[in-house]
Formats: sequence, C-alpha cells, structure tokens
Amino acid sequence: MTITRRALVGSLSALALSGATVTVRGGLAATQEATPAGGGEPIKVAFIYVSPVGDLGWTWAHDQGRIALQEAMPNVETVFQESVPENPADAERVIRQFAEDGARIIFTTSFGYMDPTINVAESYPETVFVHISGFKTAANVGTGFGKIEEPRYVSGLIAGEMTESNQIGYVAAFPIPEVIRGINGFTLGVRETNPEATVRVVWTSTWFDPQKERQAAEALLDGGADVIAQHQDTPGPQQAAAARGAFGVGYNADMGTIAPDAVLTSPIWHWEVFYIDTVQKVLDGTWEPTQYWGGWQDGLVDLAPIGPMVPEDVRAMAEAEIDRFKSGEATIYTVFTGPINDQSGQERVPTGTAMTDEELLGMNWFVEGVEGEIPS
Amino acid sequence: MADVLGRWRLERLPSPSRLGAVLVPAASILLALVAGGLIVALAGQNPLAVYGAMLAGALGSRNGLAETLVKTTPLLLTGLGVAVAFRMRLWNIGGEGQFYLGAIVATWIALFGLPDAGGWALVPAMIAAGLLGGALWGLIPGALRAYLGANETIVTLMLNYVAILLADWLVHGPWKDPQAFGFPGTPRFSSAAALPALAPTRVHLGLLFGVTAAAVLWVLFRRTRWGYEIGVMGESDRAARYAGMPTRRTILLVMALSGALCGLAGMSEVAGIGQQLQRNLSPGYGYTAIIVAWVGRLHPGGIVVVAFVLAALLVGGDQIQMSMGLPAAIAPMLQGIVLFFLLGGELLTRYRLVRHPAPSDAAATGAGT
Amino acid sequence: MRSVSKHFGPTVANDAVDFAASWGEVHALIGENGAGKSTLMSILAGLYRPDAGTLGVAGEPVRFRSPRDAIRHGVGMVYQHFMLVEPFTVAENVLLGARDRGVVLDTRSVEADLSRLGERYGLAVDPRAPVWHLGVGERQRVEVLRLLLLGARILVFDEPTAVLTPQEARSLIATLRALAAEGFCVVFISHKLDEVLAVADRITVMRRGRVAATTTPAETDRRALARMMVGRELAAFVEHPAEEPHETVPAGNVALRVRGLRARGDNGLEALAGVDLEVRAGETLGIAGVAGNGQRELAETIVGLRPTAGGSVHIGGRDLTDKGCSAVARTGVAHIPEDRLATGLVGSLDVSENAILRDYRRPPLARGPFLVGRAVAAFTDRLIHGHDVKTPSRWAKVRTLSGGNQQKLLLARELAGDPAVIVAVHPTRGVDIGATEAIHGSLRAQRCRGAATLLIGEDLDELLALCDRIAVLYEGRVVGELPARGADLERLGLLMAGIQEATASGATAADRPPVVLRG
Repeated sequence: MTITRRALVGSLSALALSGATVTVRGGLAATQEATPAGGGEPIKVAFIYVSPVGDLGWTWAHDQGRIALQEAMPNVETVFQESVPENPADAERVIRQFAEDGARIIFTTSFGYMDPTINVAESYPETVFVHISGFKTAANVGTGFGKIEEPRYVSGLIAGEMTESNQIGYVAAFPIPEVIRGINGFTLGVRETNPEATVRVVWTSTWFDPQKERQAAEALLDGGADVIAQHQDTPGPQQAAAARGAFGVGYNADMGTIAPDAVLTSPIWHWEVFYIDTVQKVLDGTWEPTQYWGGWQDGLVDLAPIGPMVPEDVRAMAEAEIDRFKSGEATIYTVFTGPINDQSGQERVPTGTAMTDEELLGMNWFVEGVEGEIPS
Repeated sequence: MADVLGRWRLERLPSPSRLGAVLVPAASILLALVAGGLIVALAGQNPLAVYGAMLAGALGSRNGLAETLVKTTPLLLTGLGVAVAFRMRLWNIGGEGQFYLGAIVATWIALFGLPDAGGWALVPAMIAAGLLGGALWGLIPGALRAYLGANETIVTLMLNYVAILLADWLVHGPWKDPQAFGFPGTPRFSSAAALPALAPTRVHLGLLFGVTAAAVLWVLFRRTRWGYEIGVMGESDRAARYAGMPTRRTILLVMALSGALCGLAGMSEVAGIGQQLQRNLSPGYGYTAIIVAWVGRLHPGGIVVVAFVLAALLVGGDQIQMSMGLPAAIAPMLQGIVLFFLLGGELLTRYRLVRHPAPSDAAATGAGT
Repeated sequence: MRSVSKHFGPTVANDAVDFAASWGEVHALIGENGAGKSTLMSILAGLYRPDAGTLGVAGEPVRFRSPRDAIRHGVGMVYQHFMLVEPFTVAENVLLGARDRGVVLDTRSVEADLSRLGERYGLAVDPRAPVWHLGVGERQRVEVLRLLLLGARILVFDEPTAVLTPQEARSLIATLRALAAEGFCVVFISHKLDEVLAVADRITVMRRGRVAATTTPAETDRRALARMMVGRELAAFVEHPAEEPHETVPAGNVALRVRGLRARGDNGLEALAGVDLEVRAGETLGIAGVAGNGQRELAETIVGLRPTAGGSVHIGGRDLTDKGCSAVARTGVAHIPEDRLATGLVGSLDVSENAILRDYRRPPLARGPFLVGRAVAAFTDRLIHGHDVKTPSRWAKVRTLSGGNQQKLLLARELAGDPAVIVAVHPTRGVDIGATEAIHGSLRAQRCRGAATLLIGEDLDELLALCDRIAVLYEGRVVGELPARGADLERLGLLMAGIQEATASGATAADRPPVVLRG
C-alpha cells in the first residue's frame, strides 16, 4: 500500500491538465429500481484492487460493493485481481489484460492506477473505465469518489462527547488533501460538541501496516488520548485502543465487529451504490464520463452502527444529525461553512460562506483544534 | 554409533555433466508443476486448466507476449547487472538501489537537465544518465570494499534503502508534480523523453538494451582478458594476486558495470513505461535479479532465458485470478515452487548425495585386539 | 597406544606405533615434518580413528568415536588453530563445549571456575572478555582452560609454542610443569630441541611414521636428538643422484640476490629475520629447514606476494623489492607455490584457463583486450604435450586432475617462458612417484638451460638430488650453508635443529666441507 493509492476527485484545474472532459456533479440518486438487463450475454465487469480482499479496509469495502453488484444484477459477471502493485508496468498490464479479455466495464480502485487507466483506455475505446479517487478523465474514463467527511463529522460529534481527557488521537496515513480533509471534518465535529478538545495527528506514511498503525495509536494513548480515530486500512489502531480500555473511531468497515468494547462507530463506504448505478447506465446506454462525488444522501457513505457504550442522549443527538445528512439538509458544504479558523487562529472561511469543491479538494491546512503539522 | 543422518553428505561433483545441465532443470520444472498442481487441486481447481490459463495469459496472445517482454526487460538488465558482480564473487545485493538511482538521474535529465531537448539528444542523454547513476551507486560499495575491505553485501543492501528513500523524498518533495494535488510523483516527461516502442505494444527499446547487454557480456566473459580476470578473481583471490591481476581496479570496474546495468534498467523503466518517477517504481526487480542471475548460472544466455521464463510466470500468474478466480496468493506460490525446485535441482547437478560408509564395526573390533 | 597404524591413501602416517605417557609427566614428541606426530596425537584425541592398534587410558582400553568422546575419557588436545568463536566471551566459549553442564547456561559459575583454575595454573584470562579481544597466547590459555574444565586429565599440545612470543612461551612452559606436578599427563609436540630438553620428563622421537627412540633429557642432548630425528642410513646417499648434470653446467652471473630480507608471517610475528642469499644462473640453491622457520615467507617475499619489512630482493641486477607479483613475473621469475590449488591454480577453472594464467595479457594469447581462442588452445596443447599432463581435455576442471598432473600443468606453465629464476616450494609434495620424477627432470633441464633455482623443500633426499648448495633456514635466518655434494646429513640435521656450532663435533666433522655461517 502506498501513498499514491487514491485521492481526491476531479477539480477544474485537472481539466486544463489532462485536456479531458470534466463534469462535476453533486450527487446521484441511488438506483433502487435498478432493473437488470434481461437475457442476452452476461456483461463482464472487472475490478482491480491494490491489497488483498481480506484487508478489512479499503479493498474489502470495494469488494463488498462488487459482491452486492453481482447479487443485484445476475446478468453481470464480475472478475477481480487483488494485490496489483501501483507501478505502471504491473498496473497497466493487468488493466490491459482485463480489457483484452472482454471486460465491458473496468473499475480501478486506487489512485496509483490513474495514469495506467488513462493509457489503456486509449487503446480500448469501446470499454468503459472508472477510476476511483483520481482526477483524470477521457471519453471512456470516468471517476468516482465520496464525501466520507460527512460521516466523519458525525463521528467527531460523538467522539467530542465521549472524550474525558479532551485529547483525541488520529492515526493518519499521508499528508494529502483526502486525509487532511477527513481530519478537518472530524475535528469540526469534535469541536462542535466539545470546544475544549483537541485532535492530535500522527502520520504513519503507510495505508496498510497493522504493526505500525498500532504503534502510532499506542504512542497517542501514551500521550493522554482516550479516543483513537484513524485514516488507515487496518483495525490495528482500534485494537490498540481496546487493549488500553480507550475508545476509537474506525474506518472503511464496521470495526466494531473486531473491537466491540472500543469502537464508537466507523465511517464506512457503500460502493455498490456507485457500482450498480454505473453498470446500469452503461447497460442503458446513458453512461457519460463524469466525475462522480457521492455523499450520504446518495447512500455512498454511511456510519456503522453506534456502539452500546455511547449514552442515549449522545446517540439521539448523532442520529438526528445522521437524518439531516441523509435528507440532504446537511452536507459536506454545511460542515465546511465559516467561520472556520486555521491552527493559528486566523479565520480562513468567513462566516456564512461555504468552501467550494476546488478548495475542499485541494485542502492543505488544518482547522483550529488539530495538533500536528502538515509536512511541506 | 554415528547417527544415521550424519553419514549422508553432499559432495561436490568433479564437474557438472553437460547432459545434466539440461535435463536437471527440465526435470525440476516438471516436478515443480506437479507439486504446484497438487496445491491447485487442493484449492479446488483443475491444475491443467490453471496452467493452460497461465500459459495463454503469458504467451498465448500478442498482448500477453508483449507484456511478458515488458516484464522481461527490467529482470534481464538487473539480472545481467548483478551477474557481472557475482562472477567475481562480489555480492552485489544492491541492484534495487542501483535501479532506482539510474531512474532518478535519468528523470533529472528529462525534467531539469535537458527538458527542451529533442528525442535524439534527450534519450541518449538519459541512457548515459541511467548508466552513470547506477554505476555511481555500484562504485560506492566497490570503493569501500577495494580500499577499506568493507563487506559489499551489507553496503549494497544499505544503499538500497538510501536510494529508495531518496526517490521517495524527491517525489514527495522537490520533484513533486505541482499539479497533482499533493500526490507524490514527478510530472510526466515530455514525449521526447519516452523510449520508442518496438511495436504498437508497450515493448520498448529497453528490451533491445537487455539483449545487447547480454551479447556484450557474453563476449566479455568468454573472449576478453578482462572477463578472464574477473573469472579468476572470482574463484581465487590468491591466484589472482599470484598472476598479478589488479584486484582493486577490477573491483571498482566490476561494481560500476554491475551498477550501470541495473541503472539502465531503472532508466528504461521510467522512460519506457511510466514516463514519470514515482514511489514503488520497482516491485523488487533488484532482488528478483539475484534469482535470475543464479538460476541462469551467471551465464548471459541463461539469464536471457530465465528472465523471460520468470516474466512469463509473473504475467501468467495474474491470469489465475483474473480468469479462474483463485486467490492472488496462488501465483507467487507457484512461482516460489518453481524456483525452489530449480535451485534444488541446481544443487544436484553440482553435488551428489553420498552415503559415507561408517568404519565397519568388524574392522574396528579386529583392530582392537 | 599400541601398534597404532594410520594410512592416508597410499601414505603411511603411522606404522605400528607404540606410545606411552605416564601421569604426572611432561612427555615431548618430536620429529621432522611428516614424521607422524600430529597424526598420532590426533588419533589419541579422537579426531582420527586408527586403521589398526589399540588405545588405553588408565589401563582401560578405549575406542574414541569423536573428540568429544575422547574428552569424556579425559583426553583433550590443544590444536595449533584454535577452535574458538570470536564474538563470544571466554566463558561462553568454554560453555560451548560443556554440553553436560545442563540446558541453562550458567555463565557465572563458569566464570568463577575459570578464575580459580586460571590462578592455580598460571592461565589468567578475563572470563568476560570477548575472544576477539584476546591475543594468541591468551586464546591458547582459553583452550587449555576449556579442556581442564571439561575434565581432561591427559592434555595434548600440538606445537604450542610455535605461535607464541618468547615470554608467552616461558609462561606456557611453567603451566605445563605445574599441570604435571598436579598429576596431569601432558604430551606436547615440538620442533624446538632446547625447549624439549628444558621441559620434558621423557622424549619420544618419531621418524617416518615410526617411533625412533624414547629417552630422557638426562640421557641425551640436542645433537643426539637431531641425529635421531634426521637419522637415516647414510648408505642411502652414497652417490649424488644428480652428479652428472651438476658437473656440466658452469655457474653464471648472480640471478637472484637477497639481502637482509625481513618479513612478517600471517600471524604478525617476524618470520624472516634478515636473510642473505645468492643464486647464480645455472645453479640450484636448496633451502632446508623444519617447516615454519620462514620458508613460505621467503618464497612469497621474493616473488612479491608478501611485503618486506626490510632488506632487498634483486633479480637479474634489478631491484624488485616490493614491486609486486606481476613485475617480478615479468622479469622472468617462475613461481611454484607451496599450495598449488590455492595459489598457483584455480581448481574450478578448466585446464586452458589455468594454462594462460601467466601469459594471458601478451600476444599471441591476447590481441588488444581480446583473448585469441585458437592461440589459447594451441598454447594449452603445447603445455599439455610438452609436460605430459594427463587430462581428458582442455575443458576439464583442474580440480578433477590428479595432484601430479596438476603440478605438471603448473610447472609447464611456469617454465613455459624459459624463466631466469625459478622459486619452487615443495614441488613434489603430495605427488606420485612418476610425476615426481618428471618434475625433477624438468627442474634439472631448467638448470642445464641456465635457470637459477631456489628450491625450498622438506625432503632432504630431494634437495640433495637437485641442488648445488643447501642453505638451512632456522627461525627466519640462514644458519648455515653447505654444498649438496657429499653433504653431511648429520650436520644438516643439527643445523635444522638450530645448532650452529657444528664444527665442534670432533673428528667425523673435520673432513667435511666447512659450514658457511651467516646472519
């Protein structure tokens, strides 16, 4: 697992860079009435994963999406290749091989696959390519990503209520906009319910390293943190929190199944929402190379069940907030609406102003309440 | 009584038989396929179908063959590179670092050194840069060995980390593409910096470098004074001194050449495939090279064959999951089994298992009276 | 030990040897190199098994299966090459051998034991020091302490003082006496007659795999011991085997001149303490001496393989001191090294690759940077046929050839360029009789051609057969030199034993040629 794994979604500047068509869309209704195309040849849909499907993290979440797609649409045959390295030689070969083998749609689920996806797409104009978390598109290449900061914000509300030491630890992979945005969304939630609390960040420089993630969490616990949040792909930090009797906030999957006494909740993905919709559109002939950025209202992101240790009043508060997101009343834009100060206390977003997509997608500063540095 | 196990010894055969040199690897691969087949069968698949899929994936189509050749290129160049050092019994474990350094210096040329040059100037400059970068990374441990007697195994291994971290730092820091939203990786090179493709596939000029290097090394090893000196020095340091061979200078030159070939592999990978420097450029070519070199018996021709076979195994291995749905871990396992049997067979061509007759008890008793 | 015999291939190392040593005595075992001392003691220590004969310890017949087994019966040996693990401490090294001390490594009790034993026998060494910190003498003490701690009552030392400084040697000798006084049985192998006479209670002299005599210091002296060591029937040497060629070659100019040559051995101690030599064209100078008196270093220093620590080497009038091996070789010096498969030949390379080792840089073998395959083949064939080297083909690995054929190939290559000077060390060691004759023939032919030969040998017969003069090397010096023709073997033996006042021996010596004393 490497830093290049994934990223933010499209931005207008990417348009100039890649010369590709870009359409930014706010969301997409989950296709509940998806009617599988009846009869005929099954179409082949391929998935390329960066780690093993059993990682209980990022790849696992995508594979759950694939399985749900397979079940929802019997006329679709899904195939996948796990643990594909992100170097151009290997990634491009596997993508090309799937195209060669007649896959109709190919989902490439890591940021590092961006250029290989674009390269292969050029040679197979009839095949639809969808790259997760990148920003380059082409006539037959779309992208997809989600607003995980929405559930992260709500998990922050809960964490702010639950901390007693007013110190929350955050085990983070790489100082890139995706991760920074998540930390900020979470911290805004924490400070909403507990203005005294701070969020201390430790960088691990890895997405996937159970040992290292666990050690980072232990260091934070040693420093006085009593809740551990994470932007990592293994449950290591949650297990460390559980071992110390502290609380935690997982990621990607419902990590409460692994550390039931510790995990307050986990922001999670429902990739099937995007996958089913995309496949249906291709079958219908209505697919376009868009840059999809789905939110809670679309069902793409969600919060895993809240743990039993969370008191009733906090749970009620959180559930009310969840309903506001699900209904579209609250969004990532309401989360990131001023006044927002940066770490130095200087106002970065004026009162009443919401941050734009471009500002969010390129975010490279911490909000007030975060302890830690973004290495330049 | 001596314990039973103690009586069996591996004895070096006087000289490996020529027939055995061909038959044993063939038998090894066959046995490996049988052993691998058992595992595949245990996983609930028809071994023949799996092997068929692997073969078809690696060699059965134009695209598969092309991809196998793409994979062959770095394995061949790094394999030849480390083999040069191994022939002199210099344990250059640093192919990985030399690969990265070649890629780094070539990237510098493409992005900063001669960014506006045309292909005719730029590509040769990048080739030279790749060779030089790798050579430098080989020379450091070479000089430490030649003048201070430092163990080159350790130094080359350490320099791997230095080179990899240097590449990491560059793509995270000074060389980061400013338009990539903070994602590590250099900008793409200009199209003039791309190594020409050999056909409308991804096979690029690097393959030709590899084949040429193999031919040159064959001549070097077989037909030149220098190659002869390397062979003698590799076998016996005392004999080399006795013959008045310049040991230090040769260590330096051999390590430089070894590194240069690995650096060329790194250069051809950035310029031929991705046209950018990024993390994880190499999935460990410099280490796989060690296997390639040994299984190829440090012979340039053997290394060409082994690099191709290994590339086919790697490319074909992906097919197991893509078309058969077997876990991805099965592929490296099969590769491991094949290598295990090949190296085991290698041992048997050079050595034989001998049962040492224990001094017979009758004789001992007789003597004791 | 009774009727002990041991063969190595066709070589008889021990031939029905009877040997006995008592409790409480220091028993010295002396003899020339190859007399069978080390083999006999290795049998006693369980390293080798005898082909025939019996061993008894304290009256009980024993048969050792391994050194460990021997130690269990109280027999331990201190080898010349220590068997210690360098990164480990003294105590840890001692524990390594002590499997019986239980699973848990009780370093502390071992350390206490070591200190106690060390004090008692003058073997002081810090039990916690890592072995690589220790000097040679201290390491030897560790070996002794280990054996004592393992319960050895019979201690065998293989040339224990050879590696020691004089001070260390004195201290060790005191230890040996102390051990004997405590009732231990101490056996030690030595070449040094003074030492033997000073320390031993009894002395056994071995010669050619047999016991020549057992005596006591009171009954003998250095001269008698030397005679017993070399002692052979002089009748075997009535005629100089190489009489004829020696008469026909007039000695030419000085081809090799060595002045005040000093050098250190591999152990860092001084091995050559100022050697002066001259060899003329057409002359063969033999170097006799007990092994380890600087022969190897002398050859290596002359041919440029070992740096000098003083003095000079002139070859053909040119100063080639420390000019390096290839400069010396270019001047026309052939070198037949002591260890042919480690230095002179490369066993894993084939015959032709070995054949060109000296001349591969020069035409016709090389053209520019390239080797000329046809010329290499022709050259190889010439060597093979010229010296009757028996090999299946040019591509056979040299390792697969017999020792004699290896040596013939080496000789063929070294003599191919008609060298002005030949430095040959043990040229027929480990070689069968046929090859020995062939090698002798080649060396004689070179002498007739006018080559100056320095022949270092351990076989006096060989030296007498091939040389014009014989110089004796003792402790890094030439202690005497005499013409080979009609040489007095007894005097040669005394010189080899380091006894220089040979002329004082009375009437028998008077009619012999005078000994030239040098250094």
